[in-house]
Amino acid sequence: MGDGRHDGRPVVVLADDDVAITSNLAPFLERAGFSVHVAADGTTALELVRRLDPDGCVLDVLMPSPDGREVLRRLRADGRWLPVILLTAVGESRERAIALDEGADDYLNKPFDPYELLARLRAVLRRARPGRRPLSASPGLRAGDLRMDRVARRAWLKDTELTLTPKAMLLLDYLMTHADELMTRERLLEVLWGFDFPVGTRAVDNRVAELRRSLGDDSARPRWIATIPGQGYRFVATVEEAR
Amino acid sequence: MNGPGRAAWAGLLAPVLAGAIACVVLEITGPGLRLYAATSPGLAAAIAGLLGGAMTAGVLGARRHADRAAARAAAAALAAAAATAAQDRLRFLARLDHELKNPLTAIRAGLANLEQATGMRACSGPAPGDEGGAALASVSAQADRITRLVSDLRKLADLEAQALETAPVDLPGLLAEVAEAVGDLPGASQRSIRVTVPQAPWPLPPIEGDRDLLFVAVQNLAGNAIKFSAPGDTVEIRASEDGEALLIEVADTGIGIPGDEIGQVWEELARGRAARSLPGTGIGLALVRVITARHGGRVAIRSRHGQGTVVSLWLPLPAGPGAAADVAGSRQRGDSTGKAVA
Repeated sequence: MGDGRHDGRPVVVLADDDVAITSNLAPFLERAGFSVHVAADGTTALELVRRLDPDGCVLDVLMPSPDGREVLRRLRADGRWLPVILLTAVGESRERAIALDEGADDYLNKPFDPYELLARLRAVLRRARPGRRPLSASPGLRAGDLRMDRVARRAWLKDTELTLTPKAMLLLDYLMTHADELMTRERLLEVLWGFDFPVGTRAVDNRVAELRRSLGDDSARPRWIATIPGQGYRFVATVEEAR
Repeated sequence: MNGPGRAAWAGLLAPVLAGAIACVVLEITGPGLRLYAATSPGLAAAIAGLLGGAMTAGVLGARRHADRAAARAAAAALAAAAATAAQDRLRFLARLDHELKNPLTAIRAGLANLEQATGMRACSGPAPGDEGGAALASVSAQADRITRLVSDLRKLADLEAQALETAPVDLPGLLAEVAEAVGDLPGASQRSIRVTVPQAPWPLPPIEGDRDLLFVAVQNLAGNAIKFSAPGDTVEIRASEDGEALLIEVADTGIGIPGDEIGQVWEELARGRAARSLPGTGIGLALVRVITARHGGRVAIRSRHGQGTVVSLWLPLPAGPGAAADVAGSRQRGDSTGKAVA
């Protein structure tokens, strides 16, 4: 494995205490074009990030000393805004909300498809804004007339507060923090429910319909949420940090 | 095979072995899960307490108020023990899920690694005569199967614990949507699928519930009805209310369930003989039971082998203006009993 960014490949720190996982994932990501540095605990992960200034970081939540969530908190407290993907495990739905609250750029539930990790990693690196806080770590967002207070979980269109169910709010949050990305129904279902729910993707369609009603969005000429036929949805408005 | 190739195979061996162990664990814990519920120490203690209490009451000459007190105490002990058993089971599911997650993640990463090393993705299928590729595809499919099983078990544990997001649910709309969704399943076009909801004397009132979850429950039942029936069979999805509860039924003229299997259908991982050749993890009816229970309702199943099956879900009707109706009935003696659970 490389020990710097001498060859132009994106540098990624992969932190998980299970050697069976890192010894298989690291070569997989290396072959896919990343320079991977492995940490078996939180302290090593923090050291590697400080020393290497990597392009991205994959953190297992259930690592020893300190755990992945604490590593993420310390990185953000240091003003390090590199993209972070959390590998979550216990109490999926609770874990998920926390991952979003604490500014992870994305998360995957174990056991995940490694190709899915690759896709997420490429997506967060593409979305990264070097030196700037990612939208997923911002307390407030704005897209045109639409404003969201992510901490209070409230949203306004112009001056009118939107009345949304908790799941619709979660969906809006995820779409806005991942704006301009094609989100498959399956992925959104996992966001809403924490796992591939057998309800099928109608549950997603129903929540998107709820959001569109609240936003007064026309699916034929969308201002906010576009349907990508046969694939999923995309938040099409430009999203920026709101103060 | 060259050096890196051999290394990749060796790298795969460890997680595959772990996978084999995971399979064995699952094979053992499949029936064990039921055994566990049946032999929970808390429940056993309570049953002993119940018997002891009943015997004591008999010895004391059975004064009526003493009997009632004993019965109340015994019922309370049994309820407390059932709650403890349910907690034990949840903890067990969480641990099992947790212990299988990392080995499964490693197996899938190992497989992806190997696919990359050999320049092949298992899902694209091996070339004819490629034995290594065929083995890889097979191991990959089995890893996916265990992943599904683990995720299904997690769903159950999650459902029992997480808060419901309730809102008024328009049941006729939901049932129509279920019929439409299962209409896409294999073989559905060869079944006659009917949805019946009453219009007279008044339409069904909306119920308070989590629409997504209720959808999952009814969809599971309708999916089963299609799966366990043949072309030309009928599937009926119907709803009614009797002033106290709302009843949803999914009935079919399919193959039915053998008498010796019907007692186990609500348990997780239970799969009847007819189901073994069909895809699925045996979690569907357990999911239906948990979802109904979370809504304060109960479920029951009646079946005749070779004739068909009907599953009934009773959900409480919301109280309030508009729900009440003037009632007069004649008194009847006796009651009917059904196999209801949850």
